[in-house]
Amino acid sequence: MQPPILKEDEQLKIEDLLVRFYTYEGIVKAVEKAKLNLRLGETLGIVGETGSGKSVTALTIMALTPTPGRVEGGNIYFRLTSGEIVDVLKLKEVELLKIRGKEISMIFQEPNAALDPLYTVGDQIAEAILTHRLPEMLERVNRLKKKEAGSFLMRLPIFRGFFEKKLLNQVVREEIVQLLRLMEIPDPERVLDSYPHELSGGMQQRIVIAIALACSPALLLADEPTTNLDVTVQAQILDLIMRLKQRFGMSIIYITHDMGVIAEICDRVAVMYAGNVVEVAPVKEIFKNPLHPYTRALLESIPKPGSAFKSIPGTVPNLINPPSGCRFHPRCACVMKKCSVEVPQLKEVSKEHYVACFLHGDV
Amino acid sequence: MDNILVTVNLKKYFPIRGGLFGTKKGEVKAVDGVNMAIRKGETFGLVGESGCGKTTCGKTVIRLLKPDGGQIFFDPKGGLPENPGDNYRQFDIARLRGKQLKGLRRHMQIVYQNPSTSLNPRMLVKDLVAEPLIVHKICSGAEAEKRVLEIFEDVGLSSEHLRRYPHEFSGGQKQRIAVARALITNPEFVVLDEPTSSVDVSVRASLLQLFKELQRKMGLTYLFISHDLSVVQALCDRVAVMYLGKIVEVAESKELFNNPLHPYTQALFSAIPIPDPEIKRKRIILKGEPPSPAKPPLGCKFHPRCPKAMELCPTNEPSLKDTKRGHWVACHLY
Amino acid sequence: MAKVKGKFWRESPRIRELAFILNRIRRSPPSIAGIAIVLFFTFIAIFAPVLAVPQPNRDPYIMPRYGFSPIPRPPSPEFPFGTTEGQYDLYYGIIWGARTAYRIGVLVVAVSMIIGIVIGSIAGYYKGVVDEVLMRITDIILAFPALILAMAFVVAFGRGLNSITFALILVWWPSYARLVRGEVLKVTAEDFVEAAKAVGCSDFRIMVRHVLPNTIFPLIIMASLDIGSVVLTAAALSFLGLGAPTGYADWGQIISLSRNWITGAPGNPFAYWHTYIIPGVFLFLFVMGWNLLGDALRDVFDPMIRRR
Repeated sequence: MQPPILKEDEQLKIEDLLVRFYTYEGIVKAVEKAKLNLRLGETLGIVGETGSGKSVTALTIMALTPTPGRVEGGNIYFRLTSGEIVDVLKLKEVELLKIRGKEISMIFQEPNAALDPLYTVGDQIAEAILTHRLPEMLERVNRLKKKEAGSFLMRLPIFRGFFEKKLLNQVVREEIVQLLRLMEIPDPERVLDSYPHELSGGMQQRIVIAIALACSPALLLADEPTTNLDVTVQAQILDLIMRLKQRFGMSIIYITHDMGVIAEICDRVAVMYAGNVVEVAPVKEIFKNPLHPYTRALLESIPKPGSAFKSIPGTVPNLINPPSGCRFHPRCACVMKKCSVEVPQLKEVSKEHYVACFLHGDV
Repeated sequence: MDNILVTVNLKKYFPIRGGLFGTKKGEVKAVDGVNMAIRKGETFGLVGESGCGKTTCGKTVIRLLKPDGGQIFFDPKGGLPENPGDNYRQFDIARLRGKQLKGLRRHMQIVYQNPSTSLNPRMLVKDLVAEPLIVHKICSGAEAEKRVLEIFEDVGLSSEHLRRYPHEFSGGQKQRIAVARALITNPEFVVLDEPTSSVDVSVRASLLQLFKELQRKMGLTYLFISHDLSVVQALCDRVAVMYLGKIVEVAESKELFNNPLHPYTQALFSAIPIPDPEIKRKRIILKGEPPSPAKPPLGCKFHPRCPKAMELCPTNEPSLKDTKRGHWVACHLY
Repeated sequence: MAKVKGKFWRESPRIRELAFILNRIRRSPPSIAGIAIVLFFTFIAIFAPVLAVPQPNRDPYIMPRYGFSPIPRPPSPEFPFGTTEGQYDLYYGIIWGARTAYRIGVLVVAVSMIIGIVIGSIAGYYKGVVDEVLMRITDIILAFPALILAMAFVVAFGRGLNSITFALILVWWPSYARLVRGEVLKVTAEDFVEAAKAVGCSDFRIMVRHVLPNTIFPLIIMASLDIGSVVLTAAALSFLGLGAPTGYADWGQIISLSRNWITGAPGNPFAYWHTYIIPGVFLFLFVMGWNLLGDALRDVFDPMIRRR
């Protein structure tokens, strides 16, 4: 018997993911053999800067790698709500349509870019509901119909279609109002009929979250959703996400560059640099005992009053011609001869703490 | 008596136009009666959330925008008192125009938040940085190029970066180019409008270090606008907190962060996520949304969301009062 | 990050841009076709005096006549494209017609562009009342039908290419003004324009050095698409008899000469095909070539702008 691809409590496993972008200037090796696990109901934080490949990885989980990017290798195993395990990269577009929005949802950095300015907010949430939960809604319509079966108008075939549509609208509307209440949006009926530009940034982001959670996905991908929001609004939204996680029980992958946010909401953290995953550890461990030089430098560069500013020398490498061996070695304070020759692999150094560095692990 | 910039009751309103002929329907009171006194050589921080008017304030103070009321006293030598009276009238730049206004630009400059949009994508970097020299007729040609190279050295760039377009640089380098352009005429006063927000975290520290060094070397005074409180805390000498067009609290940086008095400041500080999973901060969650600056509440602008609102808050607007040793608050609690 | 292509490339950023543009064009067959056609016509226009030697002491733009018979003669070794009604050498007319086409096309487009840039940038930069007034003038002129205007000019100044050139310029500049105004509005909203103000640049300097260079791409695209349209419209006007005088080497005029012969001879409807098909094909190819080039430029510039 083959060992199961995903352990009992695993939601997602990314193995050896390879993504390359074919541009005029050359081939950008955006993600190089990335490895990640996600457990059921866990919040995994991905920290990285520009060019780390974190956004590309998230998009690839939904098989939405932006052109000119191409997935050239690796597997992404995902456990559906039904329990079935699929490899997202091997699915056909038809099957992917059933997963996006329903099993895996994503929220992005700019809420007003994610919402269509021409449609009311209610219409956009309804779109998500009707795409994936139509049978359920129709079921409710049927139940409603039975209650009003005596109506004369209902018997006439001309009016029946119109009536059914009205009932469907009503049912979906109720569902949306429920959803907006869950998002702690005051006055949901009025907000439903508003256009995105009439709402503030915080409200827009709540709507985006509502759309993402409308079909109770198993996995929520969040790509810097609070970076553009005010600090006080960010606090509200983070609170909301945590409470929704309790209620819906979904797993979250939260991408950010803000270590403060990571400390607040994440259970485990993965650090990415120039397309590689360089360190993965539980959140307390990564702050208390960062092992990879990049993680350490990142934590040290957080400005602290009274002390001098410490930055990381050098710049993020050009991924068309990345440095040989470990991609961080040109900027590393602890660089060794081996680092420019071999690529370090992610190894478990202590309980649950993985590092890709020749300074640690059994070499 | 060593202030370089003093604003008295500064106001900047934006009209809301609508209707058939674009008639004025209302006003956004972006800056509504701001009093600031910035000492020569210090880094004065201005914090607040979006819509509070801090960016508008920064741009109005250097006369990029025309104020709708109040006075702006500017003395590059730094000899202004905290309350300039009539005899300082010649330093009032609020109503300058034409050539005099242009002459001002040599002394006051600004660095924008996003260097990708603040640098002309169709101009070579050397032309961009040399432009202030040409515009103010300081020098041109080979002499200008020499000056550009000098300032490049100061900001950490080199001669091989001269003949390139902005898009060929990383975010941090682009911001350095913007800084070079701002400093090439040796201004005395520089507004830094969220200069590190668009830049990677690891690069932020090097930019902040650069600002500090340049301040020391060139004797600059900074107005540092930001919503990133950790950066402000580390870099600024004094900090002012703005809410809906008004300053609600001003104090020395250490004092403010250790002992915030205004309820809004307290809520703001409590909302910052701390990079330490062991500490669980007691969050003061404000109710409601930040109000629109077009329809500000009456009385104290913060009272609808204030957890400590009292009876007189909706009717009386509090003014900035000195509580002790330079810690000013605008709140009825004090 | 610097493009890694060798020392020479690194020194000249403009050459690198050009290389990028050429590379993108290379990738699409319609673009290559467009460039090939345009080069072909440019070649003909430049080398017209060599390809079709003009007769001495005559305006080279008047086609040489070889007789007075109204019946057009079909192509033969002596007359590669045959002759038109009145025995004008069709081959000569086509070759020099390329020159005429370029003259009108380039002149109308260039002058319209200049007028449009001036008016559009003033309207877009200063906004307010200035913008309203200028745009209303533009709207009024846009409402003029080119045909009627051309006829008015002909009545006033006499028939000829100059008249229709004036008429076309007058009718064409508003679209450029509108385009420039839109682009200027977009660009002036960008940070770097405000930054230039903060540096102390005068309005004029901002417009010329900062705003306009960033609005050029859509203009170039529109111009290249327009050259074809202008030539086509001029040909139509000449066909109607408003433009070039009879016997002038202008494609529209040549087609006008075939008016009586389109139906052909009894029993053979295509007897005189060469009088209208040949100039028609050349006209079609010219316009098509420029359209393809315009499309190619649009493809090249758009993603490049977005990328950068």
